[in-house]
Amino acid sequence: MSTKECAAKRFIYVWEGPVRITHWINFFCIIILSFTGYYIHNPFLSGPISTDVYVMGTIRYVHYLTGIVFAMSLIIRFFWLFVGNYYSSWHSFINPLNKNDRSTFWAYLKYYTLLGRKVPHTLGHNPLALLAYIALFTLFILQVFTGFALWSQANPNGLMYSLTGWIFPLISNQWIRFFHYLVMFLIGGFVINHIYSAVLFDFKTQSGEISSIFSGWKAKKRD
Amino acid sequence: MGIAEKMKCLGVSRRDFLKYCTAVSGTLALSPAFAPKIAEAIESDTRPPVIWLEFQDCAGDTESLLRASAPTAAQLILDHLSVDYHETIMSAAGHQAESAKENTFEKYKGKYICVVEGSIPTGADGAYCTVGGRSAEDILKEVGGNAAFIIAVGTCATYGGLPAAYPNPTDAKSVKELLPNKTVINLPGCPVNVENLTGTIVHYLLFGAPPAMDKFLRPKFAYGKRIHDNCERRAHFDAGQYVEAWGDYGHKQGWCLYKMGCKGPETFHNCPTIRWNEGLSWPVQAGHGCAGCSEPGFWDTMTPLYKRLPNVPGFGVEATATKIGAAVVGISAVVFGAHGIISAIRNRGLVKKVESSEFEDDDK
Repeated sequence: MSTKECAAKRFIYVWEGPVRITHWINFFCIIILSFTGYYIHNPFLSGPISTDVYVMGTIRYVHYLTGIVFAMSLIIRFFWLFVGNYYSSWHSFINPLNKNDRSTFWAYLKYYTLLGRKVPHTLGHNPLALLAYIALFTLFILQVFTGFALWSQANPNGLMYSLTGWIFPLISNQWIRFFHYLVMFLIGGFVINHIYSAVLFDFKTQSGEISSIFSGWKAKKRD
Repeated sequence: MGIAEKMKCLGVSRRDFLKYCTAVSGTLALSPAFAPKIAEAIESDTRPPVIWLEFQDCAGDTESLLRASAPTAAQLILDHLSVDYHETIMSAAGHQAESAKENTFEKYKGKYICVVEGSIPTGADGAYCTVGGRSAEDILKEVGGNAAFIIAVGTCATYGGLPAAYPNPTDAKSVKELLPNKTVINLPGCPVNVENLTGTIVHYLLFGAPPAMDKFLRPKFAYGKRIHDNCERRAHFDAGQYVEAWGDYGHKQGWCLYKMGCKGPETFHNCPTIRWNEGLSWPVQAGHGCAGCSEPGFWDTMTPLYKRLPNVPGFGVEATATKIGAAVVGISAVVFGAHGIISAIRNRGLVKKVESSEFEDDDK
C-alpha cells in the first residue's frame, strides 16, 4: 500500500551556498542596475525646480556602487567554478566529443523546440541552459568591463582607465555606450527565458526546480 | 622687425603681452612663474619656420586662427613664427607660392614645423585633391615627412573628420594614418581652438619637445578632461534638471542639455575652460549641446546630434537602441509565452499521469 507521493525520491544538495548567494546578489544587482541605468540613459523623472537635490548624482552613485557589488559577485561565482561541487563547476560543461553528452543535448534541443517529449533528468544545469548561462556570463563580463571603461573616462590618468581605456581606440566611446545600453535589454530577454524555463521544468520534473535556488536541495528522479 | 617692435606698431602693450604669456602658462597647466620664460621663448630669434598645408578642408581652422577683430598677442605670436607658406593668407600665388614652400623646405629640412589642415584623400590615386599638379598624399609625405614634427589641426587632419564620414567617397585618411612613424600632434576640433595651437607651439619653443599626449595623440593640457566634467551646467545634470525642448523653462534657466543630445559626456576638450573667441562663450554656454567634434569618429558616432546614442546602420529607418532592445524583450516574451501555452496543452493531465505511474511502480 502506498500513499500519494511525487515522482521525486532522494534529495541531493545541488546548489551550494556561494552559488545561491551570488544568484540572489546578481538578481538584485540586475534590477537596480537596469532601473538606474535606464534613468542615466533617459532621465525620465521630471526636473525638480529646486537645486537642493541630487537626483542624477544619487542615481549614478547607486549605479556605480551596485556595479562594484555585481563585479564582486561575478568574481566569487567564477572562483566557485573551479572549487565548487560538480553542479557548479566547469566539469558539468558538456563535452562535444562525448556521445552521451551529445544525445542529452539533442534531447533538450528537441524538447525546447517542441519536437520531442522526453528528456533525461539532469540535476544541475541542462546542456542547453548551460550554453545560455555561458552566453549570459559573457554578456555580464562585457557589461562590467564597458561600465567601468565608461566610468573611468572621468579620469583618463587613473588606474581604471589604464585597465579599461584601451578599448576606446578600437571602438569609439559612443558605440561602447550604445552596447552597454543594448545589453540591458538582452539581459531582460534572458530573464524572461530564465523564469519561464525554471517554471516549465518545475512542472515537468517535479523535482523542486524553483525551491532549489532557495534551499539548494533538488530531487533526484527514482530510477 | 622683432616681436617687440611689431607689438608696438599694432598697439599691443607689453603688459598685454605678459598677460597673454601668463594665460598660456595656465593653458599648458604650468605654474604662472613660467610666464617670463614663455615671453623669453617667444621673443627669442630661434623661432622655427612653419609650413601650413591645406588639403580636403573648409579652411575653418584657418578662420579660427584669423578670427580676431583686432590684433591680439596670440595672433602676433602666430605671425611672428615665420609662416612661410599658407595658401589662404599668403600674398604670393601660383609658382611664387610654391617656390616659397620649396625654399623653406630646402633651407630648414628637418627643422620646420608642418601644420596640416584637412584630410588627405587617397582614392582615385589622389585625384580628389591636388595642389600645383601634385596629390595631397605626395605633398604630405614630402613636406610632412621632412618636418621636425607635424601638428594636425582640426578633426579632418587628425581623424579624417567629415570627408572620412560614412561612406567616405574619397577614401580620406588622417595625417597619422599616412605617416605612422612621424611625430604627429593631433589638435582635433571643428575647428581647432587657436589657444591650443599657440599653446602647443609655445610648449615646443619653451621645452623643445611636444607636450604630453594621450592615446589619441592629443595634448593632455587641452584634451585631458571631458567637457562634461568641467561643464558650467554640470550642477544641473547632477540635480536632475534637464532641458526637455528648445525654449522651455529649463532652457531659459540654463539647465543641462543632456536630453537634447549634448555629447559633453563623450568628448574630451577644454572648451568649458578656454572657451572661444577670446574666452567670450562656447556652445553649451550659448544654449546648445556639445556636438562631440573633437572625438575620433566624429561625424559617424556623434550623430544624430540631438540624440544620446547613434542609430544602428543598415536598418534604413531610424533604428535606435531602445527600439531594438524593446523588440528583443517583446520577441522573447511572445516566444516563451507561446511556448508556455503549447506546453500547458501538451501536459494536460500531467498530475494524473505522474500519480498513476507512481502507483504502477509501487505495485510492481
